Amino acid sequence: MEQILYYVKVSWVSIKRAPLPYALTVFILSLGLGVFFANATFYYQMNSDPLPHKSDKLFFPMMLLVPYECADCKPPSVLSYANVQKLKSSDIPSAEAAMYSSDGYLRLDSTQLPTPVNIRLTEPDFFRMLDVPLLHGAIWPDNKSRQDIVLRKAIALKIFGSTDVVGKQLLLDDRSFAVVAVLDDWQMLPRLYDANNGNHVDEVEDVYIPLETGYDLNYLSNTQSQTFDDADYRQLATDGRSKAMHQLQYWVQLDTPAQQQAYVQFMTNLAEDEKKAGRHPSPVNNQLPAMRDIVAYFGGESGDIKAFALVTLLFLVVCLFNASHLSLNRYLSNQYEFSLRRALGASRWQLQQQMLADVLLMTLFTISGALLIGFGGTKLMNYLWPINALFARWDLTLMLFLLAITLASSYLVTLYPALRASFGALNQQLKE
Amino acid sequence: MSLHLLLQSLLRRKVVTGLLLLQLAMTLALLLNSISLAGQTWQKLHEETGLDLINSLTVELKPTTPTLRQYPALADLLERQMAAVRALPGVVAVAYSNQPPLQRGGTNGNLYDPDNEERTNINSVPVYQVSKDFFDVLQIKALEGELPQAPLLKDGEDISPLVLTQSLAQKLFPNGSAVGRQTNGGTVAAVVDDFYGQRNAVNSNYNRIQVAPLFSVDWGYNLLVRTEPGQADVVQAQLATVLQQVDSNIEILYLRSFNEEHNRLYRNEFGLAVLLGLLSVLMLLVTMVSSYSNAHFHALKRQQEIGIKRALGASKNMIFMELFCENWLNTLAGAMLGALAALALNQGLSAVISIPAISWWLPLLATLVLLICVSAATWYPARIATSVSPATATKTL
Repeated sequence: MEQILYYVKVSWVSIKRAPLPYALTVFILSLGLGVFFANATFYYQMNSDPLPHKSDKLFFPMMLLVPYECADCKPPSVLSYANVQKLKSSDIPSAEAAMYSSDGYLRLDSTQLPTPVNIRLTEPDFFRMLDVPLLHGAIWPDNKSRQDIVLRKAIALKIFGSTDVVGKQLLLDDRSFAVVAVLDDWQMLPRLYDANNGNHVDEVEDVYIPLETGYDLNYLSNTQSQTFDDADYRQLATDGRSKAMHQLQYWVQLDTPAQQQAYVQFMTNLAEDEKKAGRHPSPVNNQLPAMRDIVAYFGGESGDIKAFALVTLLFLVVCLFNASHLSLNRYLSNQYEFSLRRALGASRWQLQQQMLADVLLMTLFTISGALLIGFGGTKLMNYLWPINALFARWDLTLMLFLLAITLASSYLVTLYPALRASFGALNQQLKE
Repeated sequence: MSLHLLLQSLLRRKVVTGLLLLQLAMTLALLLNSISLAGQTWQKLHEETGLDLINSLTVELKPTTPTLRQYPALADLLERQMAAVRALPGVVAVAYSNQPPLQRGGTNGNLYDPDNEERTNINSVPVYQVSKDFFDVLQIKALEGELPQAPLLKDGEDISPLVLTQSLAQKLFPNGSAVGRQTNGGTVAAVVDDFYGQRNAVNSNYNRIQVAPLFSVDWGYNLLVRTEPGQADVVQAQLATVLQQVDSNIEILYLRSFNEEHNRLYRNEFGLAVLLGLLSVLMLLVTMVSSYSNAHFHALKRQQEIGIKRALGASKNMIFMELFCENWLNTLAGAMLGALAALALNQGLSAVISIPAISWWLPLLATLVLLICVSAATWYPARIATSVSPATATKTL
């Protein structure tokens, strides 16, 4: 320990002798790492898997069951109610839930000002499939229409000032609903269950009501809805259930490869049966992407973040070259000191230990600078791309990654110069 | 001053020269692509929209009660709101619309000539249901036909005729006037000037307009306002209060000028251009530090050599120029490598974003910028090196 402290002290003395070149080296390395880290934060969070144990078992079935003919069309990215019912005829999935989102206004009674809320209209399996945590109450038991509502914790606190509100009544768009459950803190990021049109970067919804209730009360989808016939999209209760009006996401849980294979076969049979019955003229085109691939399937990956990732990596490389360059100059200036130590009997291993003390000090200074610059960088990126603001979060994995990459960078920057200074012809070096 | 000697001097310190060359090359590559992207974003932000971006405003709002979202209560609300806004000093015209122009996407549908559906079908044409003053607000003139003045209803069903923008009309009916022709959405009553509708449409100038009641306001609706020149800010500041006074059962989702809406369309591109620009400046700074350090360190290392040259009659200017020439040579070599690296980076970026190819003159401009930066960084160490007297420099010989 004493020896390590000695090496650190020697490093510190060396830094104090020529502080400007050292400060420049640390600054440039911090700059490269800070900028890289700011973008890596978004890249890592946006590509993270919120359900790592399950995301390869949840699938989004899509079929080209539409009343028009198209040889090279992809299936619609949202499903009609009628097509979901056909898919529900299979008992292969362990769980299944259709869903969409809408907007509404919530209040306790008609004297209160309404609070705008995002609504997810869905089925009970949604909460089981996505491991949604409940704080109080229970989800409605089946897929039937009923005026029950589940609140997110924050909205329960906002409306009632408390989370223990199961059984209480409130008004959603001036219709009375009973609170059956309150969710615990939950933020699925990215929100993979609704990934079309880049919606995976949004927050989870404030309130949840049964899908059938949404259709009965004509709640329109606030993201994507398409009609492929003469359906009136305002008439969800009637046209929405029977015509080619597409607005639903539909997820199924297929736990084993055998289940997945069987479901693919089921979809093929269904498409062929429908074609034979003359209900769709297009060629069979079924898709079954897994939840972990859904953003890529819909082409929702952020090109800007990817482009900036490429450039920040390049910038980091330039900063590494630059810091190595500065470090080499610094070590060559100190070469006489190294040579003198060698002449006095210091082994190369002892010189390398001295170098490791330099690396440790440089890592300490660099990581402090990189964190400051990274923090500023994420703030700037949030300002320029506010849509990704939810992803500006640092967690332990990310911090450990930064520490590892800083240590590696400091080592690389110090390695060659130190080797150069501790090898070579001693006589010549002492003469210089 | 011999090129051979300069090259030899650079080759004496291969690692340092190599590192500097790589830095210069990468800096140039980033600089070139940043300028390209910034140029493209600037062009988009200054494109022709056919609209008065400065003196036009849009308010998106939504009634908070289901009753107010249904006709006839909705018709009454719209009339009261438009009357109140129209009465504001500085307001020239106001209209309602189911959606504003200058959007990424929105309500749209396909449009075709029923006699030739397969050949004429155009997908994703923005659909506007508007009040009659819509054309006055946007200052869009009728090029053919007459602008409808009121909705047309038959047996309670809306059969209002269509108004098409010029580009759309020409695409749909290339062989003659569109006025009076049938489409799957109704009869064409007029053709108007082009204006920017939706970015995700097949063509941003394709728009289909109907003077008609709002089909549904569950997604909200917009009030579009044209003000007298220079009055937009004053009117914008009053709009929220005025609309709340008309009826408090509304939520104002946003209130923006057309200019803000237009800028929002290219927010991502603007953000990336700013970040790349900032990074380019940082890279130039890093390169300057590198050039400074390189010149300073090697001037010190070569103090004796410089002293001998001075003793043998070399002037200060000659030494000064020699140091500069070394750096210029390095920079030019780095710039050549950088041009190749820029092409590779351009290819890499074009796989994930839309970026134009690099123009032939850009490498020349970027090399000039690089030369200026490197010269500025080299100047001080070169001056120090030349100010050493021959006697001091050769003292240890």
